[in-house]
Amino acid sequence: MAWAALAVNWLLRPKRPQVGDQRETYECGLKTQGPTWVQFRIGYFLYALIFLLFDVETIFLYPWAVKFQVLGLFAFIEMLIFIGILILGLWYAWKEGGLEWL
Amino acid sequence: MGSTLTLVAFWILFVLVVASALAVVLLRNIVHSALYLVLSFVGVAGIYILLEAEFLAAVQILVYVGAVSVLLIFGVMLTRRGNIRQSNLFNAFSLAAGVVSLALCVLIILALARTPASLPLGSWPVDTVGALAEAFLGPFVVPFEVAAILLLVGIVGAILIAREVKEDK
Amino acid sequence: MPVWELLSVELLTAFLGLGLLVLGLLVPKGQKRGLGYLAALGLVGIAALAFALREAQGVVWEGYIIDPFGTYFKLLFLFAAILTCVSSFEYIGRLGNGEGEYYALIILSTLGMMILASAGELITLYLGLELMTISFCILATYRRGDMKSAEAGIKYIILGALSSAILLYGLSLLYGSTGSTLIKDISLVVNSGGVTPLMVVGMIFLLGGFAFKMAAVPFHMWAPDVYEGAPTPVTAFLSVASKAAAFAAFLRVFFVALGDSHPLWAEVIVALTILSVVVGNLVAIPQKNIKRLLAYSSISQAGYLLLGIVAFSTLGVGAILYHSMLYVFANMGAFMVATVFYNADKSDEIQDYAGLARRSPLLAAVMLFSLLSLAGIPPLAGFVSKFYLFMAVIDQGYIWLAILAVLMSMVSVYYYLQVVKVMYLGDPPPGRPAIEVPLGVQIALACSLAVLFLFGIYPTPLTNYAFSSAAAFFH
Repeated sequence: MAWAALAVNWLLRPKRPQVGDQRETYECGLKTQGPTWVQFRIGYFLYALIFLLFDVETIFLYPWAVKFQVLGLFAFIEMLIFIGILILGLWYAWKEGGLEWL
Repeated sequence: MGSTLTLVAFWILFVLVVASALAVVLLRNIVHSALYLVLSFVGVAGIYILLEAEFLAAVQILVYVGAVSVLLIFGVMLTRRGNIRQSNLFNAFSLAAGVVSLALCVLIILALARTPASLPLGSWPVDTVGALAEAFLGPFVVPFEVAAILLLVGIVGAILIAREVKEDK
Repeated sequence: MPVWELLSVELLTAFLGLGLLVLGLLVPKGQKRGLGYLAALGLVGIAALAFALREAQGVVWEGYIIDPFGTYFKLLFLFAAILTCVSSFEYIGRLGNGEGEYYALIILSTLGMMILASAGELITLYLGLELMTISFCILATYRRGDMKSAEAGIKYIILGALSSAILLYGLSLLYGSTGSTLIKDISLVVNSGGVTPLMVVGMIFLLGGFAFKMAAVPFHMWAPDVYEGAPTPVTAFLSVASKAAAFAAFLRVFFVALGDSHPLWAEVIVALTILSVVVGNLVAIPQKNIKRLLAYSSISQAGYLLLGIVAFSTLGVGAILYHSMLYVFANMGAFMVATVFYNADKSDEIQDYAGLARRSPLLAAVMLFSLLSLAGIPPLAGFVSKFYLFMAVIDQGYIWLAILAVLMSMVSVYYYLQVVKVMYLGDPPPGRPAIEVPLGVQIALACSLAVLFLFGIYPTPLTNYAFSSAAAFFH
């Protein structure tokens, strides 16, 4: 039904070629400045990387949380070691300026 | 009924994954390639769901679609380059690469065709998350902790190399 | 034996690596010299512990095998890591940045190799391999602002990722066709004749992935460029330890898990051996750069080690163990000389080595004997180890292969002696001072020289150890 509605919409709508600045990127009513493909700074990349690190950590935490009651102390200590190693990564990133916004 | 539906879903996902993977290779704008790669990841997540590995599908979406693709696009945007529309070009070896890939593909299909279909798999768990937890924190402790160290080494390396780039500026 | 005792070598290595990383963050800049000493001392301690536990045997959580074979390789990695650390003090100190991380990465890559040598399960094996590879990628780019170093890093990471992907695909096919990632379960399936065509494809992929890490022809193309661009101590470590780790894992997977399918992959190994020995030695002849020369020589050494796999016998495995241990000392010796020379003269070109014998007799002597040992000239240890490798293949009826390998050894004598000729007969460039060798490096050089002579003249203790480890592996 949803696809049908969209299809009908597409069939019925008036088709006018877009003229002038209608095809431009909309940026608060101003014209865009310079090329869109600029070179990013490395800072963004480090953020993304640290995000990835903790994203993966969360995934490892999830099954552990589900089975937490069953697994017991040994698993708890293992998980602490796991998190500890990754916290070391965060500390390293912090200390070396990976978290600074340039 | 259920199995036909599964089969239809599988073929749709199959076409999605293969077509977007081809687009990754063939498109000339590398950002478009990266976006099609994300689509391909989503398709693979769908196949995981069909295989009743829901947790793996969630991981696929979270890590690959969520984080790795962001990293990829940042990576593209970081590099110095000319015209973005001509950023994923072929070189002189494209023909040789095509022949080799095709030969490999034929080889694998032939091997697959001659392999008896019944795989010696045991029963698989219904509760995939629980089974994973027991595996991670039970018999697979060594690889589990090594994975943590591997992630740490990855981040240390990235920061070391990035620091050099920062100092250059 | 309790789990903690079995795993003590790995645990201490991990602890040392992570501890150095933390100390690198805490110690103020300019005072990080001590970290290198700490790393070397820690490794010596761990090596002593590993030696004390060399007879230990046991399986941890099904998938991690502690046995004399694995421990032998662990000792080998530790020796290589110690020599690397000692030869790095000066070199890395001059870079002035990231010293703590440098030693931590060396030790964590050693940890990866240890896991590779002990893995009795495919996922563990893969993670060990990745830990080793990723650490090396970072170490290869350590020369700041040097384009060749950056090139080395990027080449290693892209080609390494490709080979890891191929290997992983092979592992997944193996798992898919046998239903287990445990090496002992896979061997049960293979024993009962359950080899399918798909599994053969998996084996081919595994072979490709391992051959890449061994730098065996035709999977060697990364080696010369990476070896040339990476910092010299890292090159040394990469050329000996990562090669040995690949052999350890290869032996475990192909001899234990896939041992009964030996006829299926034997021919491929023979081809790899011939190509590596021939191409490695012939292409080494025109090289002008010492690191590239040693890169091609290490490709040919991979070929000699593959002879032991061709033999597929206890004698062959023992010969691999013996040869790879001596290869560590010979190659590290040569690379340590190259490192000291680079620190003094900022050059890796062979022609600049002219008259080295007059500028530093010690360096020239170590280079001379290391190269002669690599070539397999008696009374050096390399002769004995090559002899065992050749005997192992002759024993299995591959006489022509042994003859080919001996002929190619003759070729290698030619290009090794070219370097020696430059060092001893060339005139030093005017105005160049004598090269001072730091005390730690002097000790390390003397040690490796002593090992080469000792086990050349009196090889029995090491051969006994190597062959008993091999026998325990095969039983």
